[in-house]
Amino acid sequence: MIKITVIILFSVICINAQTDWVKWGKVDYSYQVKQQSPQRQYSISGDNAGETALRTLAVGYWFFISDVDGDNCPFSPTCSSFFLQSVKETNIVQGTLMFADRFTRDMDFIDRFSHYPLSKNRHFYDPPSLYTLNASKIKYIPSGESVEK
Amino acid sequence: MKNILLLFFLLLICQNISHAQVSDIYSPGNRNLFADFLYCQKDYLRAADEYKEILQQSDLDTLFLKIGLSYLKSGNYDSSSVYFGKIKINSLLYDNSRQEYYKSQFLSNHFEEVEKGPYFYKPVDKLYKFSLLLGYKQLLPKEKFLRPFEVDEKPIVSDFYDRKLNPPYKNELTAAVLAAIIPGTGKIYTKNYTDGIFAFLSTGIMSYISYTDFKSHHQFRGWLFAGLGTFFYGGNIYGSIASVQIYNAGVNFNLNLDLKSYLENKNYFVPDYDFCK
Amino acid sequence: MISVNKILLIFVLIIAPAFGQDYLDTQFIKGKVLFFNGEYFNAITEMKRLIFFDKEKKYAYEANQLIGECYKAGAKFNDAVIYFSKAEQSARSVEEIYDTRISIVKINILRRTNLRASTLLDALEKDQRFNNKKNDICYWRGWNYIFSNEWDSASQQFSKISPEHQLKRLCDSIDNKQYSVTEAKLLSYFIPGAGQFYTGNYFSGLLSLGWNILWGYTTITAFNANRIFDGIVVGELLWFRFYNGNNQNAKKFAIEKNIEISNEALFYLQHQYNGEKP
Repeated sequence: MIKITVIILFSVICINAQTDWVKWGKVDYSYQVKQQSPQRQYSISGDNAGETALRTLAVGYWFFISDVDGDNCPFSPTCSSFFLQSVKETNIVQGTLMFADRFTRDMDFIDRFSHYPLSKNRHFYDPPSLYTLNASKIKYIPSGESVEK
Repeated sequence: MKNILLLFFLLLICQNISHAQVSDIYSPGNRNLFADFLYCQKDYLRAADEYKEILQQSDLDTLFLKIGLSYLKSGNYDSSSVYFGKIKINSLLYDNSRQEYYKSQFLSNHFEEVEKGPYFYKPVDKLYKFSLLLGYKQLLPKEKFLRPFEVDEKPIVSDFYDRKLNPPYKNELTAAVLAAIIPGTGKIYTKNYTDGIFAFLSTGIMSYISYTDFKSHHQFRGWLFAGLGTFFYGGNIYGSIASVQIYNAGVNFNLNLDLKSYLENKNYFVPDYDFCK
Repeated sequence: MISVNKILLIFVLIIAPAFGQDYLDTQFIKGKVLFFNGEYFNAITEMKRLIFFDKEKKYAYEANQLIGECYKAGAKFNDAVIYFSKAEQSARSVEEIYDTRISIVKINILRRTNLRASTLLDALEKDQRFNNKKNDICYWRGWNYIFSNEWDSASQQFSKISPEHQLKRLCDSIDNKQYSVTEAKLLSYFIPGAGQFYTGNYFSGLLSLGWNILWGYTTITAFNANRIFDGIVVGELLWFRFYNGNNQNAKKFAIEKNIEISNEALFYLQHQYNGEKP
């Protein structure tokens, strides 16, 4: 029993020794708690008139509808943010097709855990970069893994 | 008087002994003991710092090797390469250090350095072959590729070779055509079964509602649902192509994961120096 | 009769080992200096060196305790707990055992593993050896409740120490300022938007109320006009969605406001409060 305890303690020590593989210094940690819900960016400024128009529509949707009807999107980024980011990364036509595909996947409530990694806020991580049809942009993350986003 | 003098000299001797002990724990021998202790506790950065302090007083190849190993095990591959490189050619540890050096280069993805490694170091040759599997350059013919591996290693490495040469990719055009003919089948082709079913249902239901609306002469609703049906249909084809790319990325990811897992189990084919025993 | 020389020899043999322990004292002082200079990583190295060469474990307690403090300063709480536990194993008195256990409690408070801290405090309270530490245990229990946002429970703990305790008054004021999440949710269940009004989010409350009235009216008129399918679709996809959203928002806004209020108090406690802190 003592041997097992010593082995476990030794293993714990060994595992925890990994924090000292880089020199560290004092950390000024705060007692305060971070707000739980992510804060939206309500800026409507864009690189061009089209993007500004689209952002204005999106912000209007967020303000009058999305912020009022609760947290319904299981994904991160949300579908509206996904649409904005898709159009920004590609163009309006391709962005719309990406959004249509996202909307269909949003309706599929079965077996999401075996398809998507998990983001910090426990939503399913599904960025537009996976769907631009540019294979070099795809950063594959296995399903079920946690992502710091 | 004599006794007082005797006491005085005895105390002086004791004082000298104690002073010797004050600096004793920083002697090269004791520092080495302490550094070995830290290394065995997996406190590699501290161990490396201790070994480096001893270097200032003595210049031993064993220390270079230990420092290199400490940095290697804590993921600092560039520093480890430097120390492995300091061991001279006439040293007994030279061969060990070269293999560890090429292992560091491999771990930091400097495959072009591994390629320069001498082939009479079998571990280095094996690492070079694995760099090809990780996409460094084109694969060699199978027989030449498998040559440096042991008999018990060949079946697994051969499997890796086959997976790299003929990966089980899906075809984008096939997925697009399937999705165009029957909505949802493109997704089923890439094993997204439930996505495929929902793509089929969404396109189908919108199309059906549009059809019934047109039949009942509800023009506006007919066009509305026709538009939605087109929206989902287009998304289904696009999404099928994207899902093929993600599927293929997953095939590559899993192969690389299996390769790295195998290499870790084998300690990258380099003998493990366990001086903690 | 023993000769003078033999007495001297015996005397020297007793004195000599005392001189020999200087190096451990020096090493310990070196580590402490590094700690007070904020060089925590190097302080840990020197303390580990001390422990390695201290065969008689004279400094085992102090060295492990100091290593724990170093890790705590670097916010490496898991490592700190390990070394405080090792210090406890080397403790030589009841006081030292208590000090290390309280150090572990403080770590659990800081990393917000409040249940663990509570369990440890329960064990301390039940331990007969620490009967004279009841007030101190209450004090740290209060801090534990503060960090788990239970200000009323914290106030009760501080009141056991003194009815006019400074922290009791602070906890009472925070508890009075905070919103009741249950109340916000209940208000929203009965009147959509009322929960948001309660927490001061008037615009959101008005929007919630408006949407619920609109979709509620649409659903009811659809059913009245025998358009059952339309009624079900609007009721399920729209009315229920906005009603649910209203409840979610009431809870969310209450929690957010409470976090803001707590954070003000926590900022004061961290930077301005002069008493003992975790």
